[in-house]
Amino acid sequence: MFKNEEMEINLGPQHPSTHGVLRVKLRLDGETVTKCTPIIGYLHRGVEKICENQTYFQGQVWTDRMDYVASISNNLGWAEGVEKLFGIEVPRRAKYIRTMLTEQNRLASHLLWLATHALDIGAMTVFLYAFREREYLLDLFEAFCGARLTTTAFRIGGLREDLPPGFIKSSQAFQDRFLACIDEYEELLTENRIWKKRTVGVAKLSAEDCIALGVTGPVLRAAGVPYDIRRAFPNAAYAEMDFEIPTRPEADTYARYLVRLAEMRQSHRIIQQCIDGLPEGPVMAKIPKILRSEVNEVYHPIEAPKGELGYYFVGEKGGTMPYRMHVRAPSFVNLQALSKMTEGRLLADVIAAIGTLDVVLGEIDR
Amino acid sequence: MTDPIDPQAPEAPEAPAGPYVYDYMAAPNRQVVLPKTVPLPSLRTYQAEVAAAAAADEAKWQKQLADFEVAKAKAEAEGKDAPKPPVRAVPRKDDNDLKTPWPTEAKDADLLKLQELLGGQVEEVFEQAGERVCQVKKEAILEALKVCRDEPSLKYEMLADQSATHYPAAKDFAFSIVYHLTSVSRSRRLRLRILVPEGFVPESACPLYPSANWMEREIYDMLGIRFANHPDMTRILCPEDWEGYPLRKEYPTVGLGQRDIDFRDDRGGVLNRLAMEKAGQMGINLKQPKAD
Repeated sequence: MFKNEEMEINLGPQHPSTHGVLRVKLRLDGETVTKCTPIIGYLHRGVEKICENQTYFQGQVWTDRMDYVASISNNLGWAEGVEKLFGIEVPRRAKYIRTMLTEQNRLASHLLWLATHALDIGAMTVFLYAFREREYLLDLFEAFCGARLTTTAFRIGGLREDLPPGFIKSSQAFQDRFLACIDEYEELLTENRIWKKRTVGVAKLSAEDCIALGVTGPVLRAAGVPYDIRRAFPNAAYAEMDFEIPTRPEADTYARYLVRLAEMRQSHRIIQQCIDGLPEGPVMAKIPKILRSEVNEVYHPIEAPKGELGYYFVGEKGGTMPYRMHVRAPSFVNLQALSKMTEGRLLADVIAAIGTLDVVLGEIDR
Repeated sequence: MTDPIDPQAPEAPEAPAGPYVYDYMAAPNRQVVLPKTVPLPSLRTYQAEVAAAAAADEAKWQKQLADFEVAKAKAEAEGKDAPKPPVRAVPRKDDNDLKTPWPTEAKDADLLKLQELLGGQVEEVFEQAGERVCQVKKEAILEALKVCRDEPSLKYEMLADQSATHYPAAKDFAFSIVYHLTSVSRSRRLRLRILVPEGFVPESACPLYPSANWMEREIYDMLGIRFANHPDMTRILCPEDWEGYPLRKEYPTVGLGQRDIDFRDDRGGVLNRLAMEKAGQMGINLKQPKAD
């Protein structure tokens, strides 16, 4: 009576739920996904090739344009990777300021994730609440470096300038009210019946699958693996910070939501420690105006809001530009898991899965 | 009336045999300067360089001494004052915070263990900038990855990153492929490296580490290295019909249809004016419209 055949549809590349120009080719049996193929490359700009033809100082500008939601994390990875290549030790005050800004950026990134993820699933209100706090954070970045998103916040060897007057006061004002804001989001979502119906048990990815597929960040921690690069391979001033690594055993979308909210509280804690223990001293190491590298290769991973962000540099003798630059983008590797998470599930869960992976196409396509 | 066929007329060009491929090497503004050195970090090369530099320094010093002896003998014979004895140059110390990380001997237990388990398959092990590097033979990469993953004292469960570099100046290889392994349980990192010549098809890491799937596709897309036993060896970032491999060193950074004049070289504005005139002859108005 009814014709029974599989249907192939395209989700994207302009679908608003795909957070950019992601195209997902889906094969559907009714409403069940039988095959899911993410297709990427619509935003490919050749950042790696461009950075091979620019000096180490100029290349940092491109890192803003990869994960544009968390550009300060990208700046940190670039700056520290280059410093590792040259063997530069950054002053302690610069490390603290870097840590503080990176954590504030993590908050901004998680807030954007929360807003858009909730919006995808159908909760409009959280969007407005989360953007209110994110706006304040972006204003802080603007006060520090003059830009809200494309920050280029750090310099190789430290910072260009010290914190502007009043920055600590504004940050403290944010600190004082932010915990109450997280409670507000939790009030709206954590026990919300519709939210739980859409997220509990959806898009599961076990710890073994996560590790096999290279998935890192909150997705891995929501599968019960306490792997955080800030703790495992401490960079910046994270070795001196006291924080916990939140994990959940359920490995579903709801667990990832809880992990990210707990992470926001931990970031708040780290920022407070940076404000309280901010050391005095210079913010820039003594380095020559023109950096000439030796033959060396480094891979420097940091914990970006989305997962492990790695910069791979190859330097040549006397070169002012990297011989080879490669970015291990967390979203690129995490997106591989989308097929595993959605095959055999409902079409509506694909949207939740894309949201919970927290992908940014700017760093996937590079 | 038709013209008789002119025997001097050139013959019609032959139809191209294959598909049209733009010869970017022939275009003057797309000429690329290929690297002349092979910046492949290696302890052996570094030690050889250091020894050569020391030998050159010593030879220079011996020559200075010999020259001094000759000058002294000459001065004595002529009855003049003896010349000043030479002073050995001390390398200048830079007053900055740069501590260049040189490669050092492998002392790490993981590297020694790998060397013991893989035996002759290991070409080189060393440490540099706090990172452990193990270079293995290109045919043995799957075996090395298997040992790293399954050996209980190593336990590198995750392939964090895989990438490749093009070395056109090297003689016996063209690419280096690096595998960045992470041990989540032990908080350790390791870099495996293989050197492959042009056209060599290394084994895919996908059967051991499924995360290699997209990374190897990206390497194929960007550098043109194919991997054997890969489930889906297609381009990933560029379109399927893209010509060339962008991250090879001979690939130009200036694309088709981009301007032929580099205005950064044009301090006096001469080229700019010429371009404006040329555009005007072609009927294109490049000048800024003036507000009335």
